[in-house]
Amino acid sequence: MDELKPGEHPPRILVVDDEAAIRRLLATVLESSGFVVHLAENGSLGLAAAATVRPDLILLDLGLPDLDGVEVIRRLREWSPAPIIVLSVREREDDKVAALDAGADDYLTKPFGVPELLARIRGSLRRVVSQAPEPVFRSGGLEVDLARRLVRVADQEVQLTPTEYEILRLLVTNAGKVLTHRQLLSRIWGASHLEQPHVLRVNISNLRRKIEHDPSRPSVLLTESGVGYRLKAGF
Amino acid sequence: MDQIIRASGEIDVYVVSMSLGERQTATQQRRPIRTIPWAGYAAAVALVAATTLLSSLVQSFFSPTNIAMFYLLAVVLAAVRLGLQPAVLTAFLGVLAFDFFFVPPVFTLVVADTEYLLTFIVFLTVGLVISSTVARSRERAEALRLREVQTASLYYLSRDLAGAADLVAVTGAVLRNLRESLKAEIVVFLADGEQLKIISASEKLDLDLKERAVADWTFRNHQEAGRGTATLGAAALLYLPLKTSANVLGVLGVRMADPTDYNSQQHRLLLDAFASQTAMALERVRFSQQAEQVQILAARETLERALLNSISHDLRTPLASITGALSSLRDQEGLDETARTELLATAGEEAARLNRFVGNLLDMTRLEAGAVRLKYTPCAVEELIGCALSVLDPRLGKRKIEVNLPPDLPLVMLDMGCMIQVLVNLLDNSLKYSPQDQPLGINARTDRAWLVMEIIDHGPGVAEADLERIFDKFHRVPAPEGARGTGLGLSICKGFVEAHGGKIKAALTPGGGLTVTIRLPLIPPPQTEDPAHG
Repeated sequence: MDELKPGEHPPRILVVDDEAAIRRLLATVLESSGFVVHLAENGSLGLAAAATVRPDLILLDLGLPDLDGVEVIRRLREWSPAPIIVLSVREREDDKVAALDAGADDYLTKPFGVPELLARIRGSLRRVVSQAPEPVFRSGGLEVDLARRLVRVADQEVQLTPTEYEILRLLVTNAGKVLTHRQLLSRIWGASHLEQPHVLRVNISNLRRKIEHDPSRPSVLLTESGVGYRLKAGF
Repeated sequence: MDQIIRASGEIDVYVVSMSLGERQTATQQRRPIRTIPWAGYAAAVALVAATTLLSSLVQSFFSPTNIAMFYLLAVVLAAVRLGLQPAVLTAFLGVLAFDFFFVPPVFTLVVADTEYLLTFIVFLTVGLVISSTVARSRERAEALRLREVQTASLYYLSRDLAGAADLVAVTGAVLRNLRESLKAEIVVFLADGEQLKIISASEKLDLDLKERAVADWTFRNHQEAGRGTATLGAAALLYLPLKTSANVLGVLGVRMADPTDYNSQQHRLLLDAFASQTAMALERVRFSQQAEQVQILAARETLERALLNSISHDLRTPLASITGALSSLRDQEGLDETARTELLATAGEEAARLNRFVGNLLDMTRLEAGAVRLKYTPCAVEELIGCALSVLDPRLGKRKIEVNLPPDLPLVMLDMGCMIQVLVNLLDNSLKYSPQDQPLGINARTDRAWLVMEIIDHGPGVAEADLERIFDKFHRVPAPEGARGTGLGLSICKGFVEAHGGKIKAALTPGGGLTVTIRLPLIPPPQTEDPAHG
């Protein structure tokens, strides 16, 4: 996988969705974007296909007729590191969070636009290829130098508290990927703080005041409502 | 008996055991006995004795014939005080005592002078006439008094029943009035399909299965039963059917304060009157409930028709645009690039609108089904507003949004998804109804125990009369061209805000436009320390 280069071997994408119309749409747009597409119409067929096809990325619908989507993710994660992007409807927010906590990499809410989908797919594939983050992260006016623990906004150095910097570092190393409240809380404060989301809210608020131009309309540190936070990728 | 029950199959068999002794007691009690008779007779004897004693003291001053007058006085006294039978006894004893003690030869019943026989006959006749006259007038007065009491208690009952609007009030009025006028405890059963159900009962009554069976018998046979009646007289209570002209609504069970009351004619008449008044009141309540039900159904039907019309319109319009655009792109030849772009833009916008509408419909359905379970999380108001604005981002264009927040606004516990939707709907509304070049304002502040948020636009506003109604379902105000709402957005806002225990209201913005104010209870998040991170 580390020798992957575009052109040599087009990435394989496994689509697991029980709706024929969605499978047809995804097959068409993904193939015309240069991916090799495999289709599965339920969870068990999806798991079987994942084992035989060895896809580079999996698009998984959460509302499958036979298996719970979160269960499919758990079984996949037992052996496959391939990024999983979950497709779900707005009303199933809890499912999204459960899917992300179970190991999914990203999610898209139906209905979604194709450019958005392709951007998420490319972002996930890129994160796999470049395991080590760039030493200096840039997005909008934000610049984070992880090696020197330096944060600049519009070329002005910004002072962050250790907690704020930890949050930002975690988001930078996962740039473009949504991190759930749970993931952030457990990685920054430890498992004992899982039930104290206000600690996270306060720090995010403070962080935004320091790195966003207009904290009420954030352009870099984005809120995924009911799910978590995402740092807008700079590429 | 077991065999009967076993053979009865589906038929209900009520076994009401009643020993012979109980039956006899029941029959004995059929004769009304208000006072203990022996006391009256004993008093009569005592009265005669006293008269004799008195007369013997004064006999030297009076002739024997006048002594008889003392005895006549005793008879009158007995008639007034003790009733008919003791008075009659007094008369007879009086004659005997007079003869024995005062008519010579004394201490014998022998009469020497036959003249005294006339005295005896007149004495007896006068005594008996006085007794019966006084007793009759006494009875009449007593009957009048009783009737007055009954009329009064019936009046109070009917007054209370007239004011009773529901079942609870009716049974409450019956319970109270029977307790006051008869000192009786009651239980009210109402028919629920084929079964009787206890609707209300005095606390002191504890009904076993046997009692319920008697009540059931009364219900099925439309006749009184239980204590004091010929049917199932061993029961602890008296059961009266609550009958109207058409049917039996239920059963009234009564426990009298005094066992003799069960057999008193007056009490039974009063109880019958109570029962029929109660039955009428119950029927009235039932009819008014049915009428109300019919009204609710009609209102719901109208609403559902409006809903269906609105939904089919709001679903079909964007679908028509999308289908039109797509079929044109597929089949129509000679479209230039501008036309193709325009068609695609139309299809895209209409699909987005369809998506919003379906979202609104789902929110509305969840609200109406009572399925909104709020997930309270600590939330920064700034972030809440940010999320709402990012949802609306594609439609904001160059519109100026003025967000005005105090820097020390605390975290608030609320359901973020719901409140984002509220802000999105309100802002969406303001975007639609106010001109592009006018800014939108979003303010937030705390006011004692409330979080107050305001969405301010500078559009045309609405008519004063519409300020309250804009939150009603499917209420649409005349919209500028192109701005078409679903009539659901604001009512969803109201539903979500009220689910939070909050209030939402609209007012006119000074200088023109609409200001919607949301007040939410300020629930602070549970406070814990933010541990320093190493």
